[in-house]
Amino acid sequence: MVGSSARAPLQPFLRAGSRDPLRGGDAANKKPVLVFDGVQKVYRQSSGADMHVLRGVDLEIERNEFVFVTGPSGAGKSTLLKLVYRSETVDDGRILFCGRDIARLTDDSIPFLRRNLGIVFQDFKVVPTWTVAQNVAITLEVIGLSTRLIRQRVAVAIERVGLAGRGGDRAGVLSGGEQQRVAIARAIVGEPALVLADEPTGNLDPALAIDILGLFEEIHAQGTTVMFATHDRTLLDVRPRRILVLDEGRVTDVATGLDHFSDDIAIDAEDETSAPRAIVAPTRLRRVG
Amino acid sequence: MSGSIERAKRGLVAEWRLHALSVVSLAVAFVCLGAALLVVFNLHALKDRWGRTGRASVYLKDGAPPAQVEAIVSALKNIPEVKEVRYLSPADARAVVFGQSGGDPTLKAVPQEAFPASIEIDVAPEVPESEVQSIVGKLSALPAVEGVETYGTWTARLASVLQGGTMAAAALAAIVFGAVLAVVGSTMRLALTRRRAEVEVMRLVGASNAFVKTPYVLESTIQGAIGATAAVAVLALLFFLVKSRLDADLTGLFGLDPMFLPPLAVLGLVATGGLLGAMGGALGLRRLTAV
Repeated sequence: MVGSSARAPLQPFLRAGSRDPLRGGDAANKKPVLVFDGVQKVYRQSSGADMHVLRGVDLEIERNEFVFVTGPSGAGKSTLLKLVYRSETVDDGRILFCGRDIARLTDDSIPFLRRNLGIVFQDFKVVPTWTVAQNVAITLEVIGLSTRLIRQRVAVAIERVGLAGRGGDRAGVLSGGEQQRVAIARAIVGEPALVLADEPTGNLDPALAIDILGLFEEIHAQGTTVMFATHDRTLLDVRPRRILVLDEGRVTDVATGLDHFSDDIAIDAEDETSAPRAIVAPTRLRRVG
Repeated sequence: MSGSIERAKRGLVAEWRLHALSVVSLAVAFVCLGAALLVVFNLHALKDRWGRTGRASVYLKDGAPPAQVEAIVSALKNIPEVKEVRYLSPADARAVVFGQSGGDPTLKAVPQEAFPASIEIDVAPEVPESEVQSIVGKLSALPAVEGVETYGTWTARLASVLQGGTMAAAALAAIVFGAVLAVVGSTMRLALTRRRAEVEVMRLVGASNAFVKTPYVLESTIQGAIGATAAVAVLALLFFLVKSRLDADLTGLFGLDPMFLPPLAVLGLVATGGLLGAMGGALGLRRLTAV
């Protein structure tokens, strides 16, 4: 499904400061935060051949969900997230964020989109020469808050991630886990509508990875929608969560506790409570029972 | 804006070596420009000074009767526009030239007969050029007078030199401006490259192009202003060093005390440095559009 409109600027309600336009109001609460509608993404390789990373992906992320995005390496997990924060553009289809088609955004509007997102990366992406507080504060500085308000909110965010009292430390002297906490604080300090985590535990040891996942869960518990991309199966098993499996360019929406990396994904047709919502009907689904 | 200023300060401190190198380059360029301006400024003052002085030298023929010379001197003294009249004999003229040359032995060998007698006239500054020319015309017609020199040719030549100097200074200014823009632009592009991690983070949290670029433009503005200020300081130091050694000679030669650039010109130079720095930074970063 291709959006026919020309590239359009992001609508006003997603301008700076409007961090969660879905908060408040029954009508707003019913809207999905994120909708992929027939999204295609193709990379042209140096050999000239096309590599279809995403093939007609359809999915919806509701408000206040915690969703894992998983799949083998190279499946397109990062690409999926990059399309959301517009580091990449779709080749076909629509992506609706809070009801707005972000696939058609102009370059001038992309900053406003990102102010409503919180993004955490595998390689942390903190500025080592800045202090912890400066790294976190940048999210609020770009939206023009006052220095006093920035200082207050940064202190709260730093405390939330367990780095209270470390605001004045240079980020470059922190451990990997601590740097990732700084990145998480930076992602949440602006109270975004959606937090995207692209393999945030990829560079951390297993114990730290569980800690970081716990941090994301705390953030989610306080009302933030989270998309967590990972190939680490141990994290998927920590708690029952919705899981989106990416494989050969297609997304399969499955419940936890199933063998997500098997060739065929089995569901129990008799048990409605455990069956995933039928967002798509990929050919690989096989009914049992 | 306060955030941009804060980030600009951080950038200046973090990259102080890079900025210091750029400031030195800018200072060298501005010293050249400032020196050209200084010369033009003093030439202009000299032209004004000599242009206002209605001075003439009435050269007398060899063997002019003393009575006729006395009559000319007396007549000139009675003209209200004439402030001063001095008769210089050949011996007097030789002594003046010998004294001005600082005792040059070559001039000492020149015979007295080579120096004509003259009557030096100073006309009041407010007297129009036309009246001076009228007096000169009447003097030239006298039988005892060989010729009259009003130094009009000299001041015209000086005006011509000044015009040429002004054009050269303008050309030098254009070259300096281009050099400043290039140096500042390159410096800021290098600073941006070295701080790529910062820019990437700012982009990811939703910073606009203006948010990213403003601190860099502020840095480049400060660079330009400091470069120009340093140039003025160096120029002043050199000027007063040279003046302290050659003051008497320069004053005696030109009849004018050399002056440093006036305060407004200094402020203008510093402001120009800042403005060029801002332009250089903005131009150097104009291709920064990728999100």
